[in-house]
Amino acid sequence: MVRSSSLNGDSSASHRRTPSRTVTLGHIQPQAPSCRTVYCNDRDSNMPVRFKGNSISTTKYNVFTFLPKGLFEQFRRIANIYFLGISCLSLTPISPVSPITNVAPLSMVLLVSLIKEAFEDWKRFQNDMSINNSTVEILQGQQWVPIPWRKLQVGDIVKIKQDAFFPADILFLSSTNPDGICYVETANLDGETNLKIRKALERTWDYLVPEKASEFKGEIQCEQPNNSLYTFTGNLVVQKQTLPLSPDQLLLRGCSLRNTEYIVGAVVFTGHETKVMMNAMNAPSKRSTLEKKLDKLIITIFCVLLTMCLIGAIGCSIVTDREDLYLGLQKSDWEYHNRLAIGFFTFFTLITLFSSIIPISLYVSIEMIKFIQSTQFINRDLNMYHAETNTPALARTSNLNEELGQVEYIFSDKTGTLTRNLMEFFKCSIGGISYGCGVTEIERGIAQRNGLKVHEEERSTGAIREKGFNFDDPRLMRGAWRNEPDPDLCKELFRCLAICHTVLPEGDESPEKIVYQAASPDEAALVTAAKNFGFFFYRRTPTTVYVRESHVEKMGKIQDVAYEILNVLEFNSTRKRQSVVCRYPDGRLVLYCKGADNVIFERLADGMDDVRKVTREHLEHFGSSGLRTLCLAYRDLDPETYNSWNEKFIQAKSALRDREKKLDEVAELIEKDLTLIGSTAIEDKLQEGVPNCIETLSRAGIKIWVLTGDKMETAINIAYACNLINNDMKQFIISSETDAIREAEERGDQVEIARVIKEEVKKELRKSLEEAQLYMHTVAGPKLALVIDGKCLMYALDPSLRVTLLSLSLNCTSVVCCRVSPLQKAQVTSLVRKGAKKITLSIGDGANDVSMIQAAHVGIGISGMEGMQAVMASDFAIAQFRFLTDLLLVHGRWSYLRICKVVMYFFYKNLTFTLTQFWFTFRTGFSGQRFYDDWFQSLYNVFFTALPVIVLGLFEKDVSASLSKRYPELYREGIRNSFFKWRVVAVWATSAVYQSLVCYLFVTTSSFGAINSSGKIFGLWDVSTLVFTCLVIAVNVRILLMSNSITRWHYITVGGSILAWLVFAFVYCGITTSRDRNENVYFVIYVLMSTFYFYFTLLLIPAVSLLGDFIYQWVERWFYPYDYQIVQEIHRHESDASKADHLEIENELTPQEARSYAISQLPRELSKHTGFAFDSPGYESFFASQLGVYAPQKAWDVARRASMRSRPKVPKK
Amino acid sequence: MPSNSASSSAAAAAGSADSSTSRRNSKRPKYSKFTQQELPACKPILTPGWVILTFLVVSVIFIPLGVVSLFASQDVVEIVDRYDNDCIPAPARANKVAYIQGAADKTCNRTIVVPKKMKQPIYVYYELENFYQNHRRYVKSRSDAQLRSVKDENQIDACKPEDDVNGKPIVPCGLIAWSLFNDTYVLSKNNQTLNVSKKGIAWKSDREHKFGKNVFPKNFQMGNITGGGKLIPDVPLSEQEDLIVWMRTAALPTFRKLYGKIETDLQENDTIHVILKNNYNTYSFDGKKKLVLSTTSWLGGKNDFLGIAYLTVGGICFFLALAFTIMYLVKPRRLGDPTYLSWNRVPGGGR
Repeated sequence: MVRSSSLNGDSSASHRRTPSRTVTLGHIQPQAPSCRTVYCNDRDSNMPVRFKGNSISTTKYNVFTFLPKGLFEQFRRIANIYFLGISCLSLTPISPVSPITNVAPLSMVLLVSLIKEAFEDWKRFQNDMSINNSTVEILQGQQWVPIPWRKLQVGDIVKIKQDAFFPADILFLSSTNPDGICYVETANLDGETNLKIRKALERTWDYLVPEKASEFKGEIQCEQPNNSLYTFTGNLVVQKQTLPLSPDQLLLRGCSLRNTEYIVGAVVFTGHETKVMMNAMNAPSKRSTLEKKLDKLIITIFCVLLTMCLIGAIGCSIVTDREDLYLGLQKSDWEYHNRLAIGFFTFFTLITLFSSIIPISLYVSIEMIKFIQSTQFINRDLNMYHAETNTPALARTSNLNEELGQVEYIFSDKTGTLTRNLMEFFKCSIGGISYGCGVTEIERGIAQRNGLKVHEEERSTGAIREKGFNFDDPRLMRGAWRNEPDPDLCKELFRCLAICHTVLPEGDESPEKIVYQAASPDEAALVTAAKNFGFFFYRRTPTTVYVRESHVEKMGKIQDVAYEILNVLEFNSTRKRQSVVCRYPDGRLVLYCKGADNVIFERLADGMDDVRKVTREHLEHFGSSGLRTLCLAYRDLDPETYNSWNEKFIQAKSALRDREKKLDEVAELIEKDLTLIGSTAIEDKLQEGVPNCIETLSRAGIKIWVLTGDKMETAINIAYACNLINNDMKQFIISSETDAIREAEERGDQVEIARVIKEEVKKELRKSLEEAQLYMHTVAGPKLALVIDGKCLMYALDPSLRVTLLSLSLNCTSVVCCRVSPLQKAQVTSLVRKGAKKITLSIGDGANDVSMIQAAHVGIGISGMEGMQAVMASDFAIAQFRFLTDLLLVHGRWSYLRICKVVMYFFYKNLTFTLTQFWFTFRTGFSGQRFYDDWFQSLYNVFFTALPVIVLGLFEKDVSASLSKRYPELYREGIRNSFFKWRVVAVWATSAVYQSLVCYLFVTTSSFGAINSSGKIFGLWDVSTLVFTCLVIAVNVRILLMSNSITRWHYITVGGSILAWLVFAFVYCGITTSRDRNENVYFVIYVLMSTFYFYFTLLLIPAVSLLGDFIYQWVERWFYPYDYQIVQEIHRHESDASKADHLEIENELTPQEARSYAISQLPRELSKHTGFAFDSPGYESFFASQLGVYAPQKAWDVARRASMRSRPKVPKK
Repeated sequence: MPSNSASSSAAAAAGSADSSTSRRNSKRPKYSKFTQQELPACKPILTPGWVILTFLVVSVIFIPLGVVSLFASQDVVEIVDRYDNDCIPAPARANKVAYIQGAADKTCNRTIVVPKKMKQPIYVYYELENFYQNHRRYVKSRSDAQLRSVKDENQIDACKPEDDVNGKPIVPCGLIAWSLFNDTYVLSKNNQTLNVSKKGIAWKSDREHKFGKNVFPKNFQMGNITGGGKLIPDVPLSEQEDLIVWMRTAALPTFRKLYGKIETDLQENDTIHVILKNNYNTYSFDGKKKLVLSTTSWLGGKNDFLGIAYLTVGGICFFLALAFTIMYLVKPRRLGDPTYLSWNRVPGGGR
C-alpha cells in the first residue's frame, strides 16, 4: 500500500511538471526570462549577484522623506489644497483679512495630521524591527550560529526548529523525520490549519547534522522571484547531478514547522523577494462611504461659495462706478475705470473673505472623534472583550467607524468564524433509538426567540466532556448499553467507530493522554466517542487496528483486541462513504461502512424498513438541529465472497489507467446488502452566540452570505445551524455535481467542460431567477436562499451572467457559496459592492479571507486565533463573530449617527457664520469689507465652536446600547442613510440662512439709533462684535438642542466655549500694542456691556434663532418621528444602567423542560435536509486541483506515513 | 495601513513567544464610564408637555420685556429734518455738486417745531444716507498708531491715498479723517441761542486711549482736494471729539453720528431755528443728510424694533403653545406608540 501510494505520488509529480495553467492569488506577474542561480553554503560566490537582504520594511516614510512626503500626502486632500490657496491669496493685498485668519487654522490642521502619521509609521517601524531581529540558526563553519533574520542571505544553510516560522523561502534539504518529510502549517498563507507535507529530495536527506551539512555544496537554478504561491520550478545541481525541484521542496516564509524536530534548508528567496511578500499587496486604504458623500457636500459648498463670490463681484463692478469721493479714487486708479478688473479682483477678495464657509477644522475634528471612538470606545468595550482568548476588540483603522453603521451585506467565512472548527460527538441513533440529550446552539436559539430560556443543561453526574465529545446519555455510558434493547447493534456501532477511520493515535497509549491525529476533526470526534463508549482505539499498524474493549463479554472486563485491516475503501466526494474490511481475531470478516444517508440507504439489505424509517426521522431531526450526520452500516462477509472480491480489488489497485474509477467500481461490488446500525450526529461547534447574532443582524436588515471553501453539504449544514437556511425557505441550489457536468468531466476535454458547465449554470440561474421573481411578486412567498458552489460561481461571475447572478442573489435572504477560492470570495464581495452599490462587510479568520476582507468596504478579522493574516489585513479585529452585534449595532450605529450630526453641525455653523458676512457684503457696496475682526474669524472655528461638537461626536446617543441591540431594526436608519441625505442638508442650510438673517438683521436694524441713555452710537466693530456674540451663543446652544443625550461634558464645553469667547473678548479688547494694527475692537466689548441694549439683544436674538429650529424639531418628531425617537419614548422612564443586562435575564427552563422542549422541536413535516456532512481533507485537494496544482497526499497517506514513524524498527537518522 | 503577510507572520511568531509572559497580565480593558459610554446624561425628549411649557415660558418672559422696551422707546421724542435738498438754492439744484464745491455761501436756515416736550439732555445728530463708511477701501485707510502717539506719526502705510503731503506725513492720515463731516448747526429758540455742547459726545475709551493728548493735526487738508472738515491745529486730537466720533466708522451706509447735546428742556410747540452751514459734499454720491434731535431713555434712542420683536416672539410662542395644546387634545398621538416604528408600518418589513 505504501509502495503504491508513493508510486502514485511520483507519477502525478512528474505529470505536473508541465502545468497547464498557473493561477495565483493576486495579479499574475510576468516571469522574468532569466533564472536565478544560488550557490548554497557559499556566500562569496553569491556576492556578485547581490540578492536582496532578508530585512523587510513596511514603513511609509523615513526621517528625511517624512516632511516632504507627509506634506504631499496631506495636500492630496482637496480641502487642504483649497486652504493653501486661500492662505496664499490672503497674503496678497486683495485680501480683506490678514493672513493669520487662514494660515493659523491650516497649520494647526496640518500639524495634528502629521503627528498622527508619524505616530502610525513609528509603530510600523517597531513592528518591522521586531521581525527583522528575530533569530534563526545558520550554518557557519561546522556549527549552528544564531543570527537575526535581517542578516540572512540567499544561499545560507539554515536550521529551523519545530514550531518556528520560516524566515525566508527555503529549499528543503533534510529533516529529522524519516524519509525526508516535514509538516508545515500554512495557516498564515491560506488559513488552513491542516498540516501539509513537504518532502525533501532523497539525494539531500543526509545533510542534517552540521558536520554533514557543511559539506553540502549545491547549486540551485530556479525561477526568478514571483508571487505564485503554488508553483516553483528549478533544479538542484549537486555533485554534477541535476535534480528537478518542485513546490514540494519549497518552504515558504510565513509558514511554520510542525511535528518535526527540526529541518535543514537552503535559502532561496529572501526579504521582499519571498513569495509571500511578493503576494502582499498594500492594503488599499479605505475611505468610508460617508466620507465620499462628504466630498460631494464640500463640492456643493464650494459651488455655493463661488456663486456668492460671483454675486459679490458683479455687484461690486456695478456699484463701485460711482464717484464716491470719500473713497479718494483718483482718475488714474484702475478702480476708476475697469469694471471687469474690479469684478475680477473682488471675486478673489470675496473668496478669501468667505473661505470660512468650508469648515477647515471639520476633517481634523472628525479624525479626532473617530480616533477616540476607535481607541477608547471600540478597543475598550468590555462587551467585545473575549475572556477565553484574552482578546479585546481592535480597531486597526479609525477611518471606517461610521461605515459600520451602514453595512447591508455581510460576507462571512465559515470555519473559524461561524464555527470553532471543533467537532463534537453529540448524538447518535442506534437501531431506531435516539441517544444523547444535549441541546444544540440552534435549538437554544429557536427557544430563545420563542421566549423560552434554555438553561445550561445539568449534566448527569460523571458525564464525560472532552474535546470532540459532548455526549450525555446514561443509557450508553459505562457499559449501560448492555441493557439496551439491542446491545449487539450498539457493539457494532462502537466497533465501526473504532475501526472504520483513518485516524492515527499519538502519544501515550492511555485513554487520558492519547492524541488522535486525524485528517478531519469529524473523524477524531468519532474515534474519541468510541473511546468514551469503552472501545479505546490505541494503536495502529499498517495492517492492524488495536482496540481496548470494555464491558463486552461482561461488565467491567477489559480486553485488547487486534483487528486486521484487510482493505480500505477511501472516502471521496462522489462515493460519499468510507469502508473498511476487517478480520476479527476469531476470523469473522466484517465490512464497516460509514457515509451519507442516501448512499448508505441505497445499499442496505432488504427488510429493515422500520429501522430505516425511524433512523431517517432521526437524521432529519439531527440535520435541522444543525448537526452533521453520518450513517453507519456493516456487513458480514463470508471468506469466499471476500477472496474473490479481493482479487478484483488488487487488480484495480494496480491498474495504471483510471485507477480511481476502477477502485470505485470494485467498491460497489462489496458495499451492498449492508445492515444499518444507525447514525451519528456531530456538532460542528458554532462559535458562541452565532445563531442569535445572525438573527439579530438579519432583523437589522443586514443580509448575511456565507462564503466557504468547504463542501456543499457542510456549508448547507452550517447554514442550517446558523439559521440562515431553514426548511421553510425556497432553496436554489446551483451545483457542479450534476450528472451532465460529471459526464463532461469524465470525457476530459477542458473546453468542452467549460462550455457544458457554463450552459448548465446559465440555465440554472435563469430558471432560479424566474422562479425567484415569481415569489417576489406574491405577498407571503417563502424566503429564498441560494446555494452555489465554486465551480459554478466561476462561470456565474462571467460578465455575461453576472447581472443575472446579482439580481438573483439580491432577492435571496441568504446566500451560501461553497468551495470557493479566496479570489472568488473577493469577486463575490466586489460583485455586490460595485454591482449593487451596497455597503459590504467581510469577516474571516484566515489568510484565505484576506482578499475578501480587503475587497469589502469594511474588513473584519477574527483575532485571538493562531493565524494573524486576516487580522493584519482587516480594519477591525474582534475575537468572536457574535461581537458583530456590538460592533455594528452599537458602535457602528452610534458612530454613523455621530459623524452625521458632526458633519451637519459643521456645515451649519460655518454656513451661518459666513452668511452673516455675506449679508453684510450687500451693505458695503460689495467692497469685500470684513465684518468681523481677523482673530474672531480665525478663532471661531478652532476655538469658540470646536469643543462642543467633538463632545457631540463622542457622547451622542440616541438610545442606549442595550436598546440598540434590543431594537436591531433601528440599524436600518443607517442602511437607508437617513441622516445624511440632501434633504437633511437642505434643512440645515435653511436653518443656517434663517439664523444668520436673524442675527444680522436684528442687530443692524435695532442698533441704528442711540443705544444708551447718553445718546452714543455704535460703530461697525461694535455691531459686528455684538452679532458675533449672538452667533457664538446661538451656535453653541444649538448643540444642546440637537443632542439626545446631554452629559456634563456638553454643559462644560458649551458653557466653556461661550465663556472662552467672552474672556477672549475681554482680554483682546482690553489691550493695545505698539504694532501698527487696526485696533478696531479696542474696548468694544466693554462699550457693549455698558448698555442695557446689549443684554436685551443677547436674550432676544439667540432665542429667536433657535426658536425656528426648535419648532422644526418638534414638528418633525411629532408628525414624522424617526424610529429611534419612538424607542426613546417607549423607554423614556428607564434609566440606562437598570437595563444593562436585560437581554441575559429571562425566564428559565429546568433541564427536563429543556429536554422536552428539544423533543417538541422535532420537525412536523418531512424535510429534505438530513445533515450529512463529512470532512475528508477535501478542501486542500480541491483547492490545489482547482489551481492546477498537484495535491500529493491523501488523508490515508498521512495516516500511513505517520504510523510508520511510530514503528520502532525504522532507524532514526 | 499597509501590512504584509511576512511581517504579520513574524509578528505572530513574536506574539506567541511572549504570550506565556503576557498571559498573566490580562488585556481586559479597564472599566470606566467613559470608555463604556455610560456617562450619566440627561436625555431630553420633546414631549408635548415640555414643548408647551417651553413656549409658555418664552412668552411669559418675552411679552413683559417687549412691553417695557416699547414703553421706553415711546418715551423718546425724536425730530428728523432732512435738509440736503432744501439747503441748496433752487437755481443751483441742477448741478448740486458744482454748487457745493463752489465758493458760494452755504448758510441755510431751517425751522423745526418740537412736537412734544423734550427733556434734557437732548442729543443732536447728523444722519447720512448712502455714505459707505464701511467700504473696504475706506475702513482700512487710517493709522491707529499715529493717532495715539506722536512717535508713530510716520506709520502711514495704510493711509493711502491720503498719507502724506510732499513727503510729510499727514496727521491724522487716511481717508476717514480726510472726509471729516463739516456741516455745522447753530440752534436757537426764540432768538436765544441754544448751547450745543460738544463735550462727551465720543466714547470715553476712544477719547482716552485711541487719540493721543499730545498729538496735534499736521498737514491736514493740505492736499489737492479737500475732502471735508478741517481741524483746529493747536488742539490735541483727544479733544477734537467731532473727529473721534467720525472715526468710529459706522456699520451701515445709513448712519447717525452725535453732533452735540443741548442741556435745556424744550417745550411742546417750541420753534427751533437752525442756522446751518451746508459744507459737506454728499451730492456727488446722492447722499442724504438729516438733522436729528432726540431725547433718550434708559434703553437709548427711539427703537421700536426691540419692543416689537419681543412682543411678536412672545405672542407667537403663546399662540403656538395654545395651538399645540388644542392639537394635542384634538388629535393626540400616544407617546412611544410602537405602530409608528417603520418596521411595524411597512407590511412584511419585519425581517
